[in-house]
Amino acid sequence: MNHAAHHRKSMESATSDGSAAPASTKAAAMAAGSGVVPESVPNVTGATQYIDDIPLPAGCLQAAVRLSDSARGRILALHTEAALALDPSVRIITAKDIPGTNQIGTNKADEPLLPEEEWEYWGQPLVLVVAATRSLARRAASLITIASEELPAVLDPREAAAKGDLIFPPRTIAYGNVEDAFARCDYVVEGRVDSGGQEHVYLETQGAIAEVIDGRRVRVISSTQGPTGVQRAVATVLGLPMNMVEVEARRLGGAFGGKEDQAANWASLAALAAWITGRPVELYLNRKEDMRATGKRHPYSSDFRIGADRNGMILAFEATYYQNSGCTCDLSPAILGRTVLHATGAYKVPNVRVTGLMCRTNLPSFTAFRGFGAPQAFFVIESAIDALAQRMGVDPVEIKRRNLYREGDETYYGMKLERVRASEAVERLLDKAHYLQARQRVNDFNATHRLEKKGLAMIPVAFGISFTKLMMNQGGALVHVYSDGSVLVSTGAIEMGQQVARKVALVAARTLGVPIEKVHVQRTTTLTVANTVPTAASTGSDLNGQAARIACTEIRSRLLAKAAEMLDASPEELDIANGMIYRRGQPTSLRWESLIEAAHQARIDLSAHGFFATPFLQYDMKAERGKPFAYHVYGAALVEATIDLLRHTYRLDRVTIVHDIGDSIDVSVDRGQVEGALAQGLGWALLEDLRFDGKGKPLSDTLSTYKVPDNEFMPGEIDIEFLPPVENPTTPYNSKAVGEPPLQYGIAGYFAVLDAVRAARGTGIEYYNLPLIPEKVSQLLAGKEG
Amino acid sequence: MIVTITINGKKESLQIEPGDMLVDTLRNAGHVEVKKGCDTGNCGVCTVLLDGKPIRSCSFLAVRAEGHEITTIQGVAEEARRFADFLNREGADQCGFCAPGFALTVIAMKRELKNPTEEEIRHYLAGNLCRCTGYESQHRAIRNYLEADHA
Repeated sequence: MNHAAHHRKSMESATSDGSAAPASTKAAAMAAGSGVVPESVPNVTGATQYIDDIPLPAGCLQAAVRLSDSARGRILALHTEAALALDPSVRIITAKDIPGTNQIGTNKADEPLLPEEEWEYWGQPLVLVVAATRSLARRAASLITIASEELPAVLDPREAAAKGDLIFPPRTIAYGNVEDAFARCDYVVEGRVDSGGQEHVYLETQGAIAEVIDGRRVRVISSTQGPTGVQRAVATVLGLPMNMVEVEARRLGGAFGGKEDQAANWASLAALAAWITGRPVELYLNRKEDMRATGKRHPYSSDFRIGADRNGMILAFEATYYQNSGCTCDLSPAILGRTVLHATGAYKVPNVRVTGLMCRTNLPSFTAFRGFGAPQAFFVIESAIDALAQRMGVDPVEIKRRNLYREGDETYYGMKLERVRASEAVERLLDKAHYLQARQRVNDFNATHRLEKKGLAMIPVAFGISFTKLMMNQGGALVHVYSDGSVLVSTGAIEMGQQVARKVALVAARTLGVPIEKVHVQRTTTLTVANTVPTAASTGSDLNGQAARIACTEIRSRLLAKAAEMLDASPEELDIANGMIYRRGQPTSLRWESLIEAAHQARIDLSAHGFFATPFLQYDMKAERGKPFAYHVYGAALVEATIDLLRHTYRLDRVTIVHDIGDSIDVSVDRGQVEGALAQGLGWALLEDLRFDGKGKPLSDTLSTYKVPDNEFMPGEIDIEFLPPVENPTTPYNSKAVGEPPLQYGIAGYFAVLDAVRAARGTGIEYYNLPLIPEKVSQLLAGKEG
Repeated sequence: MIVTITINGKKESLQIEPGDMLVDTLRNAGHVEVKKGCDTGNCGVCTVLLDGKPIRSCSFLAVRAEGHEITTIQGVAEEARRFADFLNREGADQCGFCAPGFALTVIAMKRELKNPTEEEIRHYLAGNLCRCTGYESQHRAIRNYLEADHA
């Protein structure tokens, strides 16, 4: 590693910027002779340039960070002599060198870019080091010695809550009269539920390249879901207005929420180093640094009380969620918001009181991760129903069926539900999977097998779509039609594997009436689309697709007016489809390319900006009532698992899913999202064991100590069926968001394994502590629930 | 020190330090089609072929490649392009970061195993992590790719 990384050659086949619009299952096949390379080709041949693949500007330096090696401490003195002596290129940057404001917190000013005195978690960046090469920068960082004073650390959210160390005051939603309702219940069950954190393991670690342009502007290429957030952070840290900071995001090598708020740190550090040295700087974390320094899914510890009548109708539900927020605010309030807005899962509960607490601990600042607080809430309500079913001696599936949301139901936060599909999904699933026979088969298997036991579990899902922070529900697009008829679309949507670029391209092609191969969706930059919201909350294609559709509709109406003039027709009679101009359904001799050429000659504007704000949303935070979501996504999953009583291991035999994707823009993309979300959900529920020791030291900080699903872990059979299309007025062409809702299906994996453990023990166990790794299964089989 | 490695059929003499890992040597020599995911030999992102067999270049000292033939995904670019089409059709083309290492392993498997069973395929690819797809779409793509050759 003694070579400067700027020796990278640019790749001969690097023709794509990583956001091309390839042929689609729904779109026509690529035209013969077209020179456009489908997007999967550069990905597979390695030509796609992620952060560390981009040819670096001349003279580019490499940065590294020195991370803290205890959970909390105070810096007394830095000794940098040995580091500086390593190489003349070494430069050390601390909080004192920040020209602007040392603050990157978005919801609360509690997050300095570099600490001035105290650090708050194990793995926090304390000092920035730049050198000619990455290995020199890393070695120099390791040679810095820090004289420090240890400070007491808190790791447990309940302990933080007891001390009153909350990031914001608790948030409570109350509905109906819980105490009266509990008094009327035939069954009341209380319990505790714990769920662990989850590391994102985006395969591309975090990083950024920054350079100063003309000595006064800054350009940053960041692996981020939120270029505007990065732009704002860089501007703050450097003391510049946002118009002097340009941020570009190319295709990301995965993100899953981890690069929503927390990409800003690395981009700001790179920009700071570039500003101070006057040279381009790259900062790219290795896996261990990334796993130590960056946030993960929030661990939660929760208490519940659930009450039902003798028929299993749930009358009351109460929960307290202790969110382990980590050391700073970050996105924790929004994540807690989604928790308290998904407290009853897919069920109508007439009396509800739920409280969420953001507990500050000395752990990395936990952050957005696909599902964003909802999976933790789903796990609590599903655990509560599981416990209730144990006490009642009935199949939990029966209780779940009876209590699903129905058309016109009002949620406990006052939203009247429309086009509810919870029962439709569950009944179709149970029918498709022959549930009663499957249950009988599992029971028969368990009765006849001594060394293996099977379990079965079902989860229904109703997942609200929209950012819970109202102002974030906006999207922008810029569309250019070039004079040869090709189309370039820019939006705020970051391509990170969810194929949002393909969806936006399909929406643009359909709206303009051109074949998909005419459309290219460009990388996102703050130059083309300003004030973007992060690509998150599953809303990427909804918000940006709608913005693109609005811009394309504008251009289309200009073109139809021109076509009407050329064909001596009225615009209302005309249509554009597949690159042809139609009059009352009949093709005319006018083609897209000729129309564009004529419009250009006639000095018609072939560009448009589109802006979309999701309509009808409103929420009163004080009353905790309103319509926070544009719509819900519904679905249900059934999981079957087998445990091995000799080895105490288990395998997932079968997963059946019925899921709602509306009128999909691209079914193969949506299928890929459902499968990928299922894998991450199963990983969170069963496998991924995020650990810190008693002093807050991360123990799972490499992929050899933190296991994510591999293909042998995945169920042998996965059968996914999509519900038929349904009207969904606020999205492009009645499609539905898909990224997060299916992640909850992984929770059924937990309960399937628990069901098998119960079959093995022959007694009821109320044990809700996720992930249910084989070690815990082993303890449960030995009768230890601790 | 200098190592001489044949990379994608072309002999290259590269300046290295004794402790350098092959992935860094390759990337510094411009072969950034070899991605780097974990540094610990767990994710398979950095897979290259050593004399035709898949290895993890993040856990393989560059000096050990002296005199050997290394194939990156660019060395089998035609085949990779063909396979890309199958991935694309199954929704298996997601973030793309694991794709070069994964595709190279699939291509090596196809050369090594005749008519592999489902279990053999899963086992051969167990070392190639993908955080996006959940593997199902990858498997559909692999089956279609293998079957297309028999047709």
